[in-house]
Amino acid sequence: MARLPDRSSRFMLIATFIICSSILFVDFRFDSFKPVQNFYNSSSIFIRVFSSEYIVRPLYRSLSSIRDTRSAKEENQNLKEELNKQLIENYIISNKKILNRNIFFDVTNLEKRDLKLVPAKVVDFDVNQYKCCDKHRMFLLPELSSNIDSFKVVINPEGIVGQTIKVNRSLFEVILLSDKSHKIPIQNENKFYCEASGLGIPKKIFCDIDLTLGDKDFELKQKIYSSGLGGIFPKGIEIGSIVEIQDLTPKEVRIIIDLNADPLASNYFGVLQ
Amino acid sequence: MKLSELVFLTVIFTILSFIDSQVNLFLIDFFIVSNITYLFLCYLCLRNPQKINSLFGAYIGFIIDLHQNTFFGLHATLFTLSILLINYNYFRLRMFSTLQITATFSFFTVFFVGFKSILVSTMNFQYLLVFLSFFWAFFTYLFVPSLGKFLIKKTKL
Repeated sequence: MARLPDRSSRFMLIATFIICSSILFVDFRFDSFKPVQNFYNSSSIFIRVFSSEYIVRPLYRSLSSIRDTRSAKEENQNLKEELNKQLIENYIISNKKILNRNIFFDVTNLEKRDLKLVPAKVVDFDVNQYKCCDKHRMFLLPELSSNIDSFKVVINPEGIVGQTIKVNRSLFEVILLSDKSHKIPIQNENKFYCEASGLGIPKKIFCDIDLTLGDKDFELKQKIYSSGLGGIFPKGIEIGSIVEIQDLTPKEVRIIIDLNADPLASNYFGVLQ
Repeated sequence: MKLSELVFLTVIFTILSFIDSQVNLFLIDFFIVSNITYLFLCYLCLRNPQKINSLFGAYIGFIIDLHQNTFFGLHATLFTLSILLINYNYFRLRMFSTLQITATFSFFTVFFVGFKSILVSTMNFQYLLVFLSFFWAFFTYLFVPSLGKFLIKKTKL
């Protein structure tokens, strides 16, 4: 047995390792420590937003009020934010009929129904994790004081980005379409249906297709739409297009879909209520 | 370990973790992962194994898990395992030259990056990332002792 430099026993070294790996297994398998991480995230976001809004920004404003360029920059920022909001509104208006066709809506009163859109701003988005890993999440803060529930569709000017997961009253998490654990039912124009999962790569989702179950009509560069079968996403919204078809086995293929909506495109998002 | 030392090291490790995540933002396009935090822990463990023990590794690991929003216990397990390995080979490692220690810790980093990638990026595991991390860790560890001496100059760690 090797001699240890530390006075602590071998038992403590090994016991710590076993406890840590047990905690890792429990979290990996059952997500048991998700509330702890949610609490840490929401607390750190709260501290960051609070310090930014009430400490850093007032100080910064008072220091830089001498400069005239400051107001011009702020105006520019506001205009950008307004433009983003307008782009989301335009997207809603141009897709209104399709978005209204949600299977839970009363189809007899389509014209009377008006979609409620809650604008939300990004407060935390780990771009590093988005680029490197399978977990593609972001935290948004609604601009209106409305309660955002889970399973609401999140859009940006380019299309559907993901769906919400409620964290607390004023904060919610968005699971992006490319997240490994996210699934979305899709279809193409030829009535080919499948359930696409996130690939864990930015703007990519995939669908594994069993060729023995019948003829499948799809090809490269074909447009893909949401099928609305899950009851969360509206039917007929363009999601992206097929960029790759991989042969997994002689009887199974995987289609890779490149998504239209880039979550890095803007800081503003809309949540369909 | 005194409470002030623990707080000081916690702040340093949190800052290093933040630097890592910011650097990785640019390096990930070149399939490289920066691991200054891990190398700094290895350096400290070899320098003072009495204070940097497995409990400290687990504590810092849990803090980094929360900070980086990864699986709870991932860094804690890998840090504890590394400290365990360094402790078991402490007298052997003390005989090594700087170059040999750099190469050893670079190998440790390769396993660290590999295990981490398997868990956090299961579907997109890339050997190139693991391979290139060796060279980046080798390069980084040349600066870690200087950084360590500079940071812990005032403490008696």
